Amino acid sequence: MGENKPDILQGTLDLMVLKTLESMGPLHGYGIARRIEQVSGQTLIINQGTIYPALLRLEQRGWIKAEWGTSEANRRARFYSLTRIGRSRIAEETRNWERISATMALFLAAPK
Amino acid sequence: MVRTFFSRIAAMFRGRNLDASLDEEVRAHIDMATEEHILRGVPKDEARRLALREFGGVTQVRETYRVQRGLPLLEQVRRDVRFGVLQLWKSPGFTLTAILTLALGVGANTTIFSMINGLLLRPLPVPESGRLVVLGINFGGPKPGFSFPEPLFRGLERRQSAFNTVFAFDRSPFQVKSGASTEVIFGQYVSGTFFDALQTPPLLGRTLTVGDDRKGGDPSGFATVIGETLWTNRFHRDPAIIGQKMTVDNVVFTIAGVMPRSFFGADPLQRPQIFLPLAVEEVLNGERSMTRAGVHGWWLNVMGRLAPGANLEQANSEVSAATNAILGAAPDARWVARQKERHFHFLAQSGSTGFTYIRLNFRKPLIALFVMCGGILLLACLNLASLLLARGTARQRELATRMALGASRRRLIQQLLVEGLLLGAAGTAAGLALSPVVSRLLAAVLLGGRPGTYLDTSIDVRVFAFAAAAAVLATLLFALAPAIKATSRRLVDRMKDGQHATLTHERSAILPRILLGAEVGLALMLVVGAGLVSTSLLRLYNSGEGFDPRGVENISFSMDKAGLKGDALIAFYREMAARLSHQPAVTGVSYAHQVPLTGNEWDEDFTDESGVSHDIYMNSVAPAYFSSMRIPLLAGRDFTWNDTPATSPKIILNQSAVRQLFPNGNALGRSLRQKEGDKFAVFEVVGVVGDTKYSDLRSAAPAAAYVAMPQDDGSHSPSFTAFVRTSLPSGPLAGAVRAITAQMAPQIPAPEVTSMLTIIDDSLGAERMMTMLAVFFAICALVVTAIGLYGTLAYATARRTAEIGIRMALGAQRSQVAAMIFGHNLWVVMGGTLIGLAAALLATRALAGFLFLTSARDPWVIAASIAALAFTSCAASLLPALRAARIEPMTAIRCE
Repeated sequence: MGENKPDILQGTLDLMVLKTLESMGPLHGYGIARRIEQVSGQTLIINQGTIYPALLRLEQRGWIKAEWGTSEANRRARFYSLTRIGRSRIAEETRNWERISATMALFLAAPK
Repeated sequence: MVRTFFSRIAAMFRGRNLDASLDEEVRAHIDMATEEHILRGVPKDEARRLALREFGGVTQVRETYRVQRGLPLLEQVRRDVRFGVLQLWKSPGFTLTAILTLALGVGANTTIFSMINGLLLRPLPVPESGRLVVLGINFGGPKPGFSFPEPLFRGLERRQSAFNTVFAFDRSPFQVKSGASTEVIFGQYVSGTFFDALQTPPLLGRTLTVGDDRKGGDPSGFATVIGETLWTNRFHRDPAIIGQKMTVDNVVFTIAGVMPRSFFGADPLQRPQIFLPLAVEEVLNGERSMTRAGVHGWWLNVMGRLAPGANLEQANSEVSAATNAILGAAPDARWVARQKERHFHFLAQSGSTGFTYIRLNFRKPLIALFVMCGGILLLACLNLASLLLARGTARQRELATRMALGASRRRLIQQLLVEGLLLGAAGTAAGLALSPVVSRLLAAVLLGGRPGTYLDTSIDVRVFAFAAAAAVLATLLFALAPAIKATSRRLVDRMKDGQHATLTHERSAILPRILLGAEVGLALMLVVGAGLVSTSLLRLYNSGEGFDPRGVENISFSMDKAGLKGDALIAFYREMAARLSHQPAVTGVSYAHQVPLTGNEWDEDFTDESGVSHDIYMNSVAPAYFSSMRIPLLAGRDFTWNDTPATSPKIILNQSAVRQLFPNGNALGRSLRQKEGDKFAVFEVVGVVGDTKYSDLRSAAPAAAYVAMPQDDGSHSPSFTAFVRTSLPSGPLAGAVRAITAQMAPQIPAPEVTSMLTIIDDSLGAERMMTMLAVFFAICALVVTAIGLYGTLAYATARRTAEIGIRMALGAQRSQVAAMIFGHNLWVVMGGTLIGLAAALLATRALAGFLFLTSARDPWVIAASIAALAFTSCAASLLPALRAARIEPMTAIRCE
């Protein structure tokens, strides 16, 4: 199980979750996981379960909040949504990520 | 950050709940995934399998989730606490000793200080109490007096510039009529500016003013202010109380106001419930009024409030300078002349804590006790330290093992700190729980025989915090020592060492020896102190009263308001005596005006045959007083009921009085003169009796004279105390007295029955309290020291088992082994004793003021103290030595 699934940077998953919630509005854990899979075009296959520690981490930071609600299929589920702090953090987290990826790109492009 | 922390802490307590919540969320997730697969056409079983696979390991997710949620440090602490409790639980002897030691150190300090605080330090709860001043009188002697005659107070009250107000008060029991019966309620006479100076607004109505403190009172009659407690108990907090009438000592008063419960005037030990204007005293007490006694009645406490801008020195020099003018206005010119000769002058001292007489007796004993408490706290810390050190040495192998198994140094230290904190918290809590019980007990001893007094011993937080901090710090410090020791050495070496290789440095360890030696020395000091004060108290008790107090019950009759006089009064007492003597087991009944050893004094000037004036202590007694009290009648006769005012005045002298008044011969039949106004009263000496102690046990028996109660015109007071000798406990007697009184004189309050022994105990309140505590502390010190010596040696011996085994295998005798172990402590004890002795000799000098007929270096007391300490130490050291001597060499060596 999961033998081919790469580890991803913690911050990466967090930012993905934030962006997902920003574009989709309140969503349950399964919805977030599916959305990440869809957006990444199936190139990033994660264990869907790893989303939950990430969600808890964001919740503890106060960036997202969770409420029990009812899904489209009339199922009880926990819905996550951005808090005001979370919304304001997205821009900065995005910049952080861009800086890291730019740095990585420089490294990878460096002549051997 | 903060939010994360709190949500983590919250999670710790909701752990189980959150697990269920996560499970439900995961279940929903997998259900949704399964449904989506089914919608895409995957068979049901396959769909679920796929969903689970995409999710990844459910258990893994749960674990990661929990780690993210929980707080590792707090969980560690929780684990440490559990482990610490377990560790302490495994050695209950050690734990109990440590907790008790701490409880003693913290409890004793908090208790004694709360008493000192209540009696000496707490400021009066009135606005700007720092501006209050107590006035006193310097008679040219070493100690100033603090009671004033009314004319001198009025003089001070009128002349004031450094003061806003000068006020006076005096406590008194009042008989308040309620229905047909009469109740005694403690209250105060207060001068007109009393409430003004204390600046506390009333709960209801108004306070008393200068207008009330006048002869005849307000135009509307006499006013009174009552306390909230009385208002609640008697008037059920009736808001319409103002203006109602209340009968006090047969005089009708109008209730003008109610004072809040927090207000108690200027004497911190009293809780007066009735305040009456000072001017009323004359009306209530009539002939025996202190006001009417003028400059001869010493009764008022006088205080003042400083005027804005004035300070204590100014006030002091002002009252001192005003002395002569005020004295000069007093009516008795001869008395005034005599006072001026004595350099009589007024003085002022700080009064922020109010004034109470008890303070004069208890200030020094309490401070001495507090010093002893400090010793106990130090002893407790030393004992804890040496116990923890010994235990720590024994634990080093365990700690080293745990470190080898991967525990970090930080973790070990943290764990030992938690253990120390557990001990500290438990000990402090026990001390805190004990403190109020003990202080209530001590307050009862301290206030014994003073009805209507109350000592507020609420715990002082600062002192408790100090004592607790000292004790806990000591615990932590010495609990930490083994961790630092165990982790700082080369671990592997220690592991390889086993038991015996550590011995070299252990035996030479100097710190435990110093700690133990100091403990022994401190214990010796406390034991010597306790020995001295208890010897002194015993000598006081055995110093001889001159009468036999055992089996004498005192019954005090309050006849002041009963309206009986002269023959009728004497007839009442004769009838009462006759009825009392018919009670079972009663062998003697008599009366006296003065109860011995209560601190009350009555003295008169008598002129002997050569015209010289002598100051003689007085009492007025009924027939059979001497036989009832077992005072020997050495010559002449006792009084009889026939010694009436119609016959010539008779007097009985004690031996000292005879020696003083008739130095060269027989006193019987001779006469004594007493000046009364312009003429002389002449008394005929009819008897000579043995000397007795008069106002207190500490002073020698003074020259005293007795007049016959039937001849006494009751000018002092119609209230006498019956002295009943009985071989039965006082319970049934008290019942009988109440019944007889209710029958004969229902208008007087039920008489109080007190045994003579209780009166003696109460008169020695300060000494008894000090002795009780000092002995208690000394016993604690001995026990604690014994435990320290035993514990340390037992640990050390246990670690030397193998070495001892080898020694014995090589031919050491059991007695040699025992001597070796025993000798280990011997030097510590001897060194400690020497230092303690030197310190005790220096320190006990401070006790000299408390000792009666006992030198501060009483060799017997010191020898006995050393013997007690030596005995305890030997007993404590012998046990481990004997255990060592019983070691079987083969078993011991094989153990390693």
